[in-house]
Amino acid sequence: MSGFNFINPFGVREDPGSFVGDRYTDNFSRKARRDTIVLNLGPQHPSTHGVLRILVEMEGEYILRAEPVLGYLHRMHEKMAEVKTPWQFIPNMGRVDYLHPISWNWAYVGAVERLAGIEVPERAEYLRIISCELNRIASHLMWWGAFVMDLGGVTPILYAFEEREKINDILQIVTGSRLTLSYFRFGGVSTDIDDRFERLTREFIPYLRERLKMYKALVTDNIIFRRRLEGIGPMDLDLCQRYGATGPILRAAGLAYDTRRDIPYGLYDRFEFDIPCGPSNDSYGRYLLRLAEVGTSLDIIEQAIESIPDGPIKIAKAPKANYKLPAGETFFAVEGGRGQVGVHLVSDGGQCPYRIKLRAPGYSNLSLFAEAAKGTLLADAIAILGSLDLVIPEVDR
Amino acid sequence: MFKAIIDNLKGLYSLLVGLFITGDFFLSPQKTTHYPRKVDDPETLKSYRGPLELVPADNYGNGKCISCQMCVRACPGHCLTVTKGDKGKEPKVYLYDFTLCCLCAACVESCPTGAIRFSHKVYMVAPTREALHLDLIADLKSRATKIDPMGTKAARLKVAKAEAEAAKAKADAEDAAKAKAGPAGSAGAPA
Repeated sequence: MSGFNFINPFGVREDPGSFVGDRYTDNFSRKARRDTIVLNLGPQHPSTHGVLRILVEMEGEYILRAEPVLGYLHRMHEKMAEVKTPWQFIPNMGRVDYLHPISWNWAYVGAVERLAGIEVPERAEYLRIISCELNRIASHLMWWGAFVMDLGGVTPILYAFEEREKINDILQIVTGSRLTLSYFRFGGVSTDIDDRFERLTREFIPYLRERLKMYKALVTDNIIFRRRLEGIGPMDLDLCQRYGATGPILRAAGLAYDTRRDIPYGLYDRFEFDIPCGPSNDSYGRYLLRLAEVGTSLDIIEQAIESIPDGPIKIAKAPKANYKLPAGETFFAVEGGRGQVGVHLVSDGGQCPYRIKLRAPGYSNLSLFAEAAKGTLLADAIAILGSLDLVIPEVDR
Repeated sequence: MFKAIIDNLKGLYSLLVGLFITGDFFLSPQKTTHYPRKVDDPETLKSYRGPLELVPADNYGNGKCISCQMCVRACPGHCLTVTKGDKGKEPKVYLYDFTLCCLCAACVESCPTGAIRFSHKVYMVAPTREALHLDLIADLKSRATKIDPMGTKAARLKVAKAEAEAAKAKADAEDAAKAKAGPAGSAGAPA
């Protein structure tokens, strides 16, 4: 053999007591103490919600250091935007974040509309709000089930899926799909709603309010659940702001910052809804806040479905697949289920955009984990990780 | 001390509540659909996006496609191949690679004649990758309910045109005859 070391291909010096693995493990374990164990959480661990890998240095059951390793689900969405016309990039936006794709639809379509100066008909704005909020509820329900499952309660996810399937049925009427939704178009939306959509949505709102009471009795008040979450993983406001965390994590830390209220887009300023804030910055507070947000979304849908105006759902000369963007630069942000979703769009007037930057909230939120997990038990770290509501395709993009 | 006991009793009660809820669900009827013994209501599939299919223009297996290539240019996944035929605007080849398709409706929305749409084949199964390379013209022909007596669309259109001309000539002749007998005919008609 030519001397190639298959076990240690990067030629990192093996010091005794360290864990020989790939480059990340080697770099990480170089700083490790002699009497500790370096452990790989993931990338195939079920509690990491996809293919997130976290390196942790353990002293007994306690975590001394943690380092997330990203990139296992990197799909080059930003690069793909540079070789596709603006229209052709819309289906990608359904695939960045598979739990709340409509927020990404909105961020991208909104950025293009802002750059091209396209006005959206009023009915289309209402349909956008209804579909986005329904999708947000589906995202939070999925998180609720997965989070409780991380903590050992396997049953609630099946109850959450019952509601989520109902939302999927409703959204399927207009989008034609159940997971990777591409509903928005430049200057409107793709399909108009029908009677069945309205009927199912109206039935769903009181139904879910009843179910939220059941959630409270089954999980929120459960003594085991509370003891596992209360006081675990506090993230104070200063830490959140330093890492650029947004969404439920920032609001749970006490700052009522919501893009829907603070940088209004669409017709959100027409609706009465409150931004839940607090009650505490630990995992239990983040849990309560997300359930409160489901109620907020229900309020918005209820008002929107009552006052939906008639009219066109798309502008008359909506851009087609060969549409060219005017030269310029713009940024558009919307509130996704996990935080502020942003699209920074640069165009030089060519067939395809010059550059697109996707601002994923999960990426910033994940950065908090390394800080929050220091000195906690391994089981508590899983609780902290679950309370961050990570979607790995969105983190890696 | 006393407070801790009360707290634990409350916690114990929350566990009982949880057991009661799960027991309730255990005894309630099944919510899921057991495929393939039961399938979903077809109404839920009205907007379902299955693999593409050509829209039939008539019962003879002819489509509306005019081979303008708009769908091919719009497609972000390059999954369509359309070749124009020797005569007329009808496509000779309309191949569709379902393995590349992301069901985004760019082709459907860009088609000027409305010649393609999404099928509702939700239970489609492919044993191999090649089975997903679909020939949409063959699929369209297989859905024809009548056999074209003229053989091709062009021949049939020619005959139909001739028939229409003949009918028009006949109608004109009748109109002329009516106009001749006009005053008498109209006087005899009921008011």
